[in-house]
Amino acid sequence: MLKIENLHASVEETSILKGINLEVNAGETHAIMGPNGSGKSTLAQVLAGHEDYEVDEGSVEYLGKDLLELDVDERACEGIFLAFQYPVELPGVNNTYFLKSALNAQRKHRGESEIDAMDFMDIISDKIKLLNLKDSLLKRPVNEGFSGGEKKRNEIFQMAVLEPKLALLDETDSGLDIDALKIVANGVNSMKNEKKATIVVTHYQRLLNYIVPDFVHVIVDGKIVKSGDKTLALELEEKGYEEVIKESKN
Amino acid sequence: MKVLNRITADFDNTINDNNEIVKNIRIDNFNEFKKTGIPTSKEEFWKYTDPSIVNKSEFSLGIPNNIEDNAFDIIIVNGKLIQKSDKVQIADVQIGLEENILEISDFNKTNNPFINLNNAFLAEGCVINFEPNSEKEIKVLNIVDNEKSEQIIHPRIIVKAGKNSNISMLEEIRFLGKKKNLVNSVTNFYLEEGANVEHIIIDDFSEETYQISNVLVRQKKDSAFSSYNYSNAKNLTRKDFIVELKDRGSHCDLRGIYLADNDNHIDHHTIIEHEKEHCTSNELYKGILSGKSTGVFNGRIHVHNEGQKTDAIQSNQNILLSDNAIIHTKPELEIYADDVKCTHGATVGQLDEKGIFYLRTRGIKKKEAQKMMMRAYVGEVLSGIKNDETRNDLLEKIIRNIPDGE
Repeated sequence: MLKIENLHASVEETSILKGINLEVNAGETHAIMGPNGSGKSTLAQVLAGHEDYEVDEGSVEYLGKDLLELDVDERACEGIFLAFQYPVELPGVNNTYFLKSALNAQRKHRGESEIDAMDFMDIISDKIKLLNLKDSLLKRPVNEGFSGGEKKRNEIFQMAVLEPKLALLDETDSGLDIDALKIVANGVNSMKNEKKATIVVTHYQRLLNYIVPDFVHVIVDGKIVKSGDKTLALELEEKGYEEVIKESKN
Repeated sequence: MKVLNRITADFDNTINDNNEIVKNIRIDNFNEFKKTGIPTSKEEFWKYTDPSIVNKSEFSLGIPNNIEDNAFDIIIVNGKLIQKSDKVQIADVQIGLEENILEISDFNKTNNPFINLNNAFLAEGCVINFEPNSEKEIKVLNIVDNEKSEQIIHPRIIVKAGKNSNISMLEEIRFLGKKKNLVNSVTNFYLEEGANVEHIIIDDFSEETYQISNVLVRQKKDSAFSSYNYSNAKNLTRKDFIVELKDRGSHCDLRGIYLADNDNHIDHHTIIEHEKEHCTSNELYKGILSGKSTGVFNGRIHVHNEGQKTDAIQSNQNILLSDNAIIHTKPELEIYADDVKCTHGATVGQLDEKGIFYLRTRGIKKKEAQKMMMRAYVGEVLSGIKNDETRNDLLEKIIRNIPDGE
C-alpha cells in the first residue's frame, strides 16, 4: 500500500528526515516510536503533505501513485487521514458543516453524488456513539473549547466518518486519561480490516497495549534504526531509547 | 478654498428657511465650524486621514429626489426625510425641536468640525422616537443620489429609545449616480434606562465618495447598545463612534467589518467613555485589506474616576491580502479608576494557515478551505445579530465583496 524509499525532508533548511525506508501493506498496523525530536511527527506531516516540509530526496509510493505529487486535499481524498497531535481549533466553522463538506469533497473526488442529509445524520449519530462524544459537540465550532480528550476523540470520530484507507495517528495518546485512551483505541480497532492500514506515531508504549501493532520501528535522528514486532515496544519501555539504540549499533 | 466659499454660500441661501430655534443652532455651529474649517492631517486626530483633500472640489448642497421603496420604513434621500411609516413616531428635526422630542442642548457645538458642520445644516434630518417599552424592528434606507455635480450632504438621524424599549434598526446606505460626493453624516442614539438598541449599518460605498460619519451614543442606566458596522471602502472613509456610558450597568458592543482594495482608505475611530461603575464594553473590529489600500483603527477606552468595576474588551484583527496594503492599528487606554478590567489586542496577518491545512487534510480543496476560514472570520463579528435572515444576508453580501488578493 505504502512504500517509502530513502526519504529525506527538511524544514527551513534544517534536515529532519535523513533516509527513511518503510513498507506498509494493507491490513497492517505499524508503530513508529522514537525520542523527542527524532522526526517521527515530521514523517506523519510529510505523508499528509504539509507544505512547510521540503522533500529533498527519495520517493513515496501510495496505492501505485507517486504520493509526493499529490496536494494535501488530494491525498485525503485518496484515503490518507492524519489524526493531529494538536488538533486545530476553527472558531466559526461548525463541526457538522465541516464534516459534511469534507465527506462530500471526498465523495466528489470518487465520482459519487453528495450524501443525502438523512444518511449523513445516520452515519454521524452512529459514529459519535462509538467515540462516546456528546451530540452537542456537533453544533459547536470545530475543536473550539473542546477539552484535550474531546479533541483527540473528535479526530478519531472524523476518521470513523471519512473511513480512510491509511490512517496516520500522530501522538494520539498524548493528553488522554486511561478511559479516553481505551475509547480512542476501541474506535481505531473497530475500523481495522484487511484493506486498511494504520501507522501509529507514539512516544510511549502505553497506547500499543490497546492498538496492537504488527510492526514497531524506532526512529532516531531521522532514520529508522531498529524494527521488530510488538515486543520491541515493551523492550523500549523497559530499557529506554538510549539503551536500545546503543544495542542496535553494536 | 473653493469648498468653504461654496459651503458658505449654501448656508447663507438656506438659513432663512427655518424657524428661530433651528436658525440659532445653525448659526452657532456654523460660526464654530468657520473658526477651524476642514481639518488637516497635521492634527493628531486626523493623522492618517487627511480630510483637506476635499478642498480641491467644489461641493454644492445636494438636492433630494423622490424615491420609493416599500422594503423600508424610512427613506432619506440626500439627508432629507422622504418616506416614513407609521410604525413609530418620525419627524424632521425642526418639528422634533418644536415638540420637545429634542433639546436645543443636543446640538451644542463640539470640538469636531464635521459635527458642527452637520449641525449647521440641521433641519431636514429625522428624529425617530421609540416609546417606552416598545419593541420594534425598523429598516432605514439612506440614499446618496447624485447625477448632477459634485455635492455635499449632511444626513442626520436622531434615535430616541424610550425606557425599556427593545429596538433593532437596520440602516442601509445606498449610492445612486456617478458624481463625486462628500457625505458628512451624524447619527445620534439616546438610550433611556433599560433600553436595548441594535444598530446594523450596511455601507457599500460608491467609487466617488468622501465619507465622514459620526455615530454618537449616549446611554443611561442598564441600557445596552449593539452596533454592527459593515464598511466597504471605495475612496476615503472616516467613521467615528463615540459611546458615552453615562450610568451604571450600561453596556455597549461595537462590532465592525471593513473591506478595502485598490488605493482606498478606511479609518475607524472609536471612543468609549466609561463614566460610571459596572459598565461593560466589548469591541471587535476586523479588516480585510487588499491592493494598496490603507486601513486605520484607533480604539480609545476612557475609564473615568467613577468607572469602578469597568469591564472593557477591545480587539482589532486584520487580514492583509496583498503585500502593499497597510494597516495602522492603535489602542488607547486612559484609566482613572483602580478596580477595572481592560484588555486589548491587535493582530495583522493572513488567514490562519494551520486551519487551512487542517481542512485540507480532510479532503477540502484549498480555495474552499480559504472560503470557509474567511466566512468564519467575518461570521464571528456578525454572530450577535438577532435576526437570522439579516445576519445571513449580510454575511453573504460581505463574502461576495471581499476583494481578491493583490
